[in-house]
Amino acid sequence: MDSAMEHGVSAAHGDHGHHHEVELSIWPLIVSVGGFLIPLSFIMAFPWGMSSIGMLLSGVAVVVLIGGLFGWTNEIYANKKDVGLSKVAIVIFILSEAALFGGLFGGYLYSMLPADNWPPLNTPEGVPPLGLAIILSVFLITSSFTIHIGEEKLEHGDAGGYKTWLIVTIILGALFALLMAYEWFELIHEKGFYISLNTYSTFFFTITGFHASHVIVGLVMQIFCVLMTKSFTKEKHTLAKTTGLYWHFVDGIWLLVVSLIYIIPYFKVGQ
Amino acid sequence: MGKPEPTGIKAWIFTTDHKKIAVLYLVTSLVFFVVGLLLAIIMRTKLLVPDREFLISNELYNVFFTIHGAAMVLFWMIPVLLGFFANYLIPLMIGAHDVAFPRVNALSYWMYVGACLIAVLGLVLPGRLDIGWTGYPPYSVTGPANTALYVFAVHLLGASSISGAVNFITTIITLRAPGMTWGRLNLTVWGIFGSFIIQLIGVPVLAAAVTLLLFDKYLGTHFYDTNGGNPLLYQHLFWFYAHPAVYVVALPVFGIVSDIVSTFARKRIFGYTSMVIAMMIITVLGFEVWVHHLYVAGTLNWSRIVFMWGTILIGVPTGIKVFNWLATLHKGSIDLKTPMLYALGFIALFTIGGITGIANGLVGFDIHVHDTHWVVAHFHYVLALSMSMLVLGGIYYWFPKMTGKMYDEKLGQLGFWLTLVGALIAFFPHFMMGVDGIPRRYAILPAEYTGMIRISSLFSYIAIAGFFITIWNYIKSARSGAPAPANPWNSLSLEWTIPSPPPFYNFEKIPVITSDPYEYGKPEGHGEEKGAVGGHAAHHH
Repeated sequence: MDSAMEHGVSAAHGDHGHHHEVELSIWPLIVSVGGFLIPLSFIMAFPWGMSSIGMLLSGVAVVVLIGGLFGWTNEIYANKKDVGLSKVAIVIFILSEAALFGGLFGGYLYSMLPADNWPPLNTPEGVPPLGLAIILSVFLITSSFTIHIGEEKLEHGDAGGYKTWLIVTIILGALFALLMAYEWFELIHEKGFYISLNTYSTFFFTITGFHASHVIVGLVMQIFCVLMTKSFTKEKHTLAKTTGLYWHFVDGIWLLVVSLIYIIPYFKVGQ
Repeated sequence: MGKPEPTGIKAWIFTTDHKKIAVLYLVTSLVFFVVGLLLAIIMRTKLLVPDREFLISNELYNVFFTIHGAAMVLFWMIPVLLGFFANYLIPLMIGAHDVAFPRVNALSYWMYVGACLIAVLGLVLPGRLDIGWTGYPPYSVTGPANTALYVFAVHLLGASSISGAVNFITTIITLRAPGMTWGRLNLTVWGIFGSFIIQLIGVPVLAAAVTLLLFDKYLGTHFYDTNGGNPLLYQHLFWFYAHPAVYVVALPVFGIVSDIVSTFARKRIFGYTSMVIAMMIITVLGFEVWVHHLYVAGTLNWSRIVFMWGTILIGVPTGIKVFNWLATLHKGSIDLKTPMLYALGFIALFTIGGITGIANGLVGFDIHVHDTHWVVAHFHYVLALSMSMLVLGGIYYWFPKMTGKMYDEKLGQLGFWLTLVGALIAFFPHFMMGVDGIPRRYAILPAEYTGMIRISSLFSYIAIAGFFITIWNYIKSARSGAPAPANPWNSLSLEWTIPSPPPFYNFEKIPVITSDPYEYGKPEGHGEEKGAVGGHAAHHH
């Protein structure tokens, strides 16, 4: 019918349907239903004051969300495709995450720099707990090395070695998360340092909380990698690579958290 | 030949096909365009009697301008450009079967729908959003509005935008067909690429800003209160994204104008490289202008000077684009079809809006007109009307490709002229009111401006009538338009080399690209009918 057709695209054959394996999938809709119910449950619990229904709904939301993500990943691995695109994607995604922390750190500096006293005078003694932060840093920085060793093992075809080093990484990351939870508990219940105390506590809990949530996401990715180790080969292990990149990013952000949220207030730098 | 194309309702709800997702985005965003227009009609009618309460209460007026702004920017302009146009055109223009992550693409759409639902709740439920689309504290924290709805709408939209940005940037980087070099991309692709970069970097900052708002309201934190915090922090974080959001809309629009102008002038786009460089400069420089929203808010003096220069500088790449379009038109063989009319109308309206923007960016002048009707007039010219119009023209341009049917040309031109006449005049009185110092967002205005406001309302009705005729034309033509050929405009761009509507897999075989989409007037592109054959079409053996 159209001259362009005869001349060009329609004349060729083969290569059909590549990159178009999925035309129908139920999982994106399920995941977004879960993603929609979480804010709705918050709205019910807080602004509308229906806390029990809100709690119930948030439980449903989490189940729907996790079920959806599980079905989603299952569908991908049923197709056994490793198209190798996600390394580009994870770098792009990390840029976005960096912007998120950039906004938070920017806000922190914007509040800290003009302040006469930082941390504000009503901050309790022994805050920030620098000693604990050093232990936390040791865990996280070590874990960046262990996951790297694991990846090198995988590149040499040693999937078993990868798994071992990854489990070491997970243990270090989990220790970090647990110690962080302990630190929060101590600060709130022992030292009387809570989120609504002053501007510093506000930023302290918000930024460490944002960071900890990223640690948990990284740990979930690592646990998933442990489960998927069987499917990794010397050439096909994009998931392992992306998990590693993400973990290094979480580690790098922690260094900024330590310097800005712990060290500067501890030594009252510039005051 | 692959699996058969799925049909029925499931084929839409569970689809991961970029063309179907694009159509879903188009329909949803058009619904919100209509919602925004209906709210505009009510507000303009209320203002017919400007000096007292009329038709709606003053409180409801606040809710209406909040939802009007949010609907138009967040639920119409950005989704129609980065949801509909990006989805429909990117794979077709770069020669791919689909985007890099089809499921993530569907996820982006459904999260957008979730945000839409929350926005509707904010319009109808008690605790209605009356905080303006900007949601400034302290009012959004201490006021009666259910700010959580605003925050979560932004979160869901943000999640949708960030996953979309990751998806499309990856697609453009990795899935270009062989021979589709960066220098052969349509300017529409370049515009969308720049736009998604802004989304990627800006949206997380907005998400952070509103999250802290939520904490302040429900956890008693001190980010934005005066007890150690600073309400200006919100304005900084908000406009760090929300000003570049204007370029999120503008960059794809610039690309679409370029493609339409080149096709209907049957001339190579003038200064392709300068167009691309200008777009990338706008992408970067867009993040160096936001403080001009805070000139009178109490920011540091030096920052006002720095950001004034950023604001003025961004006029340079923008001006380059306008001159390039005019140079493309010069001695072209111009065909005034509806999409071309919209492109030309856009250039006129955008130039008025853009020049008033330069004035607005000057600290000295802005101190006088800040938060007045001048600003309302400026952004309705530069963003609201001109870019909405161009979006409608863009839909007309690719309408035959999408539906396989031709739109009604007469109805298309009628809608265009009504909208253009309305748009040119509707907001002009507001410039004068702004210079007189009348503040924006006030429900009650001085009686001596009644005449001006009524002129403004009258022409806004005319513009909106044009919009409705246009939307009616889409619906009517999609159902009963004449069959469209594969390439009704004799364009050289890749998407026109495949049948209308495109087959399920877009390309039977990934094409090999040997030339760029703007090579009009070259010997092999000579002659009207053969125009489509030469340039961008694939050669493969």
